[in-house]
Amino acid sequence: MSQVTLYSVAYTLSDDLLRAVGSILPAGPRGLVTSGTAVTALALLVFGAILLAASMLNTILLIWWERKLLGRFMDRRGAMHVGYAGLLQNFADGLKLFRKNTFQPREADSLGFYFGPTAYLATSLMIFGILPISSGWNAGSLPLTLLLALTIFSFAPLFIFVSAWSSNNKYSLMGGMRSAAQMIAYEVPLLLAVVAVVIVAGSFDLTTIVYEQQNYWFWGPLVVALIVFVAGMLAEMERIPFDLPEAEAELVEGWNTEYGGMLFAFFMLADYLRALVGSILVVLLFLGGWTLPTWVPGSLTSFPLAGIVWFMVKTYLVFGLFVWVRAALPRVRTDQLLRVGWNRMIPLALLSVFLAAVLVEVRCLPVFGCVPSAGV
Amino acid sequence: MWINMGPQHPMTHGLWNLRVRIDGELILDVDPEMGYLHRGIEKISEDRHYNEVITLMDRCCYVAGMAWEHLYILGAEQALAIRPPERAEYLRVLCDEFQRLGSHLMWYAAFVQDLGLMSPFLYGMRDRDLVLDLFQSYTGARMTYEYMRVGGVRNDLPPGFTERARKVLDWLVDRFREYDALCLGSTIFRKRCDDLGVLRANEAVALGVTGPMLRAAGMKRDLRKDRPYAAYDRLEFDVAVADAADVTARYLVRMEEMRQSVRILHQVLDWLDRNPGPVLADRLPRWLGAPYAPVGDEGYLLKRHYPKGLGFSSVEEPHGEAQAYVVNEGGQHPYRVKFRSPVFANISAAKSYLIGYRVADIPPIMGSVDVCVGEVDR
Amino acid sequence: MTEEGTATEENPVLYVVRPMATAAKQFAKSLVRPSTVIYPFERLEDPAFREEVAVASGKPIGVGAIWDNYRGVHALNIATCISCNLCAFSCPDLCIEMVTVPGGDPKHPKKCPEIDYGKCSYCGFCSDACPEGCLTMTTRYELATAKRSEMVYSPEKLYEVFRTKLPMNPIRLERPENEDQILLDPPLCIGCNACARDCPTACITMLDVAKPEAKAGEKLPKRIWKEPVVNDSDCVRCGTCISVCPKECLFWGKRP
Repeated sequence: MSQVTLYSVAYTLSDDLLRAVGSILPAGPRGLVTSGTAVTALALLVFGAILLAASMLNTILLIWWERKLLGRFMDRRGAMHVGYAGLLQNFADGLKLFRKNTFQPREADSLGFYFGPTAYLATSLMIFGILPISSGWNAGSLPLTLLLALTIFSFAPLFIFVSAWSSNNKYSLMGGMRSAAQMIAYEVPLLLAVVAVVIVAGSFDLTTIVYEQQNYWFWGPLVVALIVFVAGMLAEMERIPFDLPEAEAELVEGWNTEYGGMLFAFFMLADYLRALVGSILVVLLFLGGWTLPTWVPGSLTSFPLAGIVWFMVKTYLVFGLFVWVRAALPRVRTDQLLRVGWNRMIPLALLSVFLAAVLVEVRCLPVFGCVPSAGV
Repeated sequence: MWINMGPQHPMTHGLWNLRVRIDGELILDVDPEMGYLHRGIEKISEDRHYNEVITLMDRCCYVAGMAWEHLYILGAEQALAIRPPERAEYLRVLCDEFQRLGSHLMWYAAFVQDLGLMSPFLYGMRDRDLVLDLFQSYTGARMTYEYMRVGGVRNDLPPGFTERARKVLDWLVDRFREYDALCLGSTIFRKRCDDLGVLRANEAVALGVTGPMLRAAGMKRDLRKDRPYAAYDRLEFDVAVADAADVTARYLVRMEEMRQSVRILHQVLDWLDRNPGPVLADRLPRWLGAPYAPVGDEGYLLKRHYPKGLGFSSVEEPHGEAQAYVVNEGGQHPYRVKFRSPVFANISAAKSYLIGYRVADIPPIMGSVDVCVGEVDR
Repeated sequence: MTEEGTATEENPVLYVVRPMATAAKQFAKSLVRPSTVIYPFERLEDPAFREEVAVASGKPIGVGAIWDNYRGVHALNIATCISCNLCAFSCPDLCIEMVTVPGGDPKHPKKCPEIDYGKCSYCGFCSDACPEGCLTMTTRYELATAKRSEMVYSPEKLYEVFRTKLPMNPIRLERPENEDQILLDPPLCIGCNACARDCPTACITMLDVAKPEAKAGEKLPKRIWKEPVVNDSDCVRCGTCISVCPKECLFWGKRP
């Protein structure tokens, strides 16, 4: 069976479409329309559209998933009336936000006010182009996918700060400052934890990292890195217990206090896009991506699109963990957060790098089985 | 930089304004401003029959209506020289203590939500609803009870009430353990609340701070013990005290008070089961107002026919010590009613327990004060 | 404001795990049945629902809720209303107005309460004051309307509520033993018959009094030589007579 990739699907689709269009055209334009360049261009567009739709749909599903889970944690039901089990509730909410008037405070700086949320959403969407959902289901296999993803991921504090500052509100500004400080503080341990994974896997390519986990998933040997990564991700995603940039108790809504309507929806969507990316990265780096352990019966892994299905199941379970944390833990204070970030997380991350190096050096991976790693 | 936290702000839990001067995250100065919820309850009371003032008391403090009814009723009874029957006194203690449970559960919910704990917020509200169910079963309303009357209470308990109440109390005692696991058992909670908002006893006394805030500073003062009213002198309970004078200490005091309330309620329910009797004093004057409504205006009885008197009462309300002063100059209406709100003093002392902490500490500290703006502004 | 929290340094991991375990326990419990009541579909006033939930879920949902004496929308039995005004006088919100309903004679029109639920605070003073028990409160609590004018319930509308036979608030206050009575200050009375005319229970009768002999040089007061006598067992103590008396000669008191 030939490898089906998202791009091949898009290419076939656009090829068929252009052929159909070309068949009703005279010969001159027909050649132009059905040429390889045109098909490739359209294929890229279709590819982007599919990606956009898929990521948005998943984001909205993720919000639904959080609402349902959080509801049960709180002894209630969550959204339940719009659509089956409230599945369409978020679409209704989105529609409401879409219909609302987009307003801007009088003293706000227009450029930053509109640029901030737009760029925040755009950069968050960009990451999806390079995340391998399953084998072959990403735009291109760059050698440095992981690095690129994390780079785009760390643009966010800039845009948050721009939108916070330009909305000319004291609460927004404080939220923006907190956000910037927090994200910069947790960027370092996050990257160091990733370095541990990279040392073991021997590659910056996410696809390679997943295939390196064919025999064992990295969460076992690299449990310290996992803890640091998850904590760092919580801080990057600004979720409880690290959601102080938008701590509603003291800062109203933090850096998005002045935003309403669709601009607020941009922030909301981008937040959950980032949560999705965070969960996906945890799955890719530590939980074997779309692969399953070898002891799983083959019938569970051989059906069509099995890779994507298992990948999404894992992603939603990881996000469920984040929701669980949100349901049980209070918010920390800024100074405590930064102290934990610089004083605890960075040493832990360095320790995890050291442990990874030792593990690779003594060729004792995984701890159960002692099979030499193929990538080293 | 001055920022206005209020009058519409998630931290305020009501309608008041905390002006804060900050340097970065550090609080340099605070200035609480009240008065946004003023309804003139004291003035309206001067134009109401004695029993009709009760409807205002429920709206005075919307989370502890029963305690305020009790406060006013004690003052009015003293001013009118009326004594309630004993069963009514026990029923009032029942109301008071259930109200304390309800109010403290509400406080718990609001306080943990200030810290970002979302699920305990709903646990607190869920369990408070059980208390409201009980209130509804014998007063007929969930928040605006209008249950007490000058000279007793409106009606006796419905059949089967005590069994239901005991079931709810057992459930609540189990939940308190959960609350502690979610708060005291959490490192982040302790790190945020320990040594926060410290208000020592001497300063608290000087500023008129009362209630759980004072007891959390190690001062063993509880009007139920020190100046017993209703049936409190016949009931066994301990006064909850903590030493640390910080937010955690206030949490501990309130949790312990809830446990003591359960203890008191069990005794009261047992007593009520054993001792039936009248709940309203007989020979009540007609002109007290509803239910024995007089007709028309004053003047059908000459002023000299009315008794005169002064009434002063103080009640350990869930938020602190509330006091009422009722002047009866003769006539169907009180001449003057004056209330002392404990929360007003507790908020006004904000300068002494907020300055020097951080902006992120304001919600937990003010949450631990347990603000009820209805009674602050009246 | 110390640098580090002091009390919980011994085992930080446990202290993160414990709240999460508690939340997980709650999660498992609410998978069976959350405590929420899906209001329009499930109703606490439905005893079958209360029993089912309380028994099946092990949670005390609605255990304390007894709905019989809930104070909701009023029900008025027009037939037994005696137009005594007591409900309107006892209302602290002044939301009750007495309006004429058919059934009275032209001289004494029958008046029944009309309640404005935009003002009502459901304190129950009116139903407590009603001497005949014809104005009661029911368990009905849904009042949403599209127009403000629909918040005003005419006596007929209140009678409709009465005819639905909802559970009525059963608390009827006992009339006290030594109730005050209507007393007369005889020298002030002019025998005008206003009290007897307006008494809703017709318990006042005007009896003749002896006309005293006029002394020399003194004029007798210009009046009708009759005085009201109140039948205490029929009197509902509404005080209408006191309020209509032009000379303020009636008052509350204890007969010596």
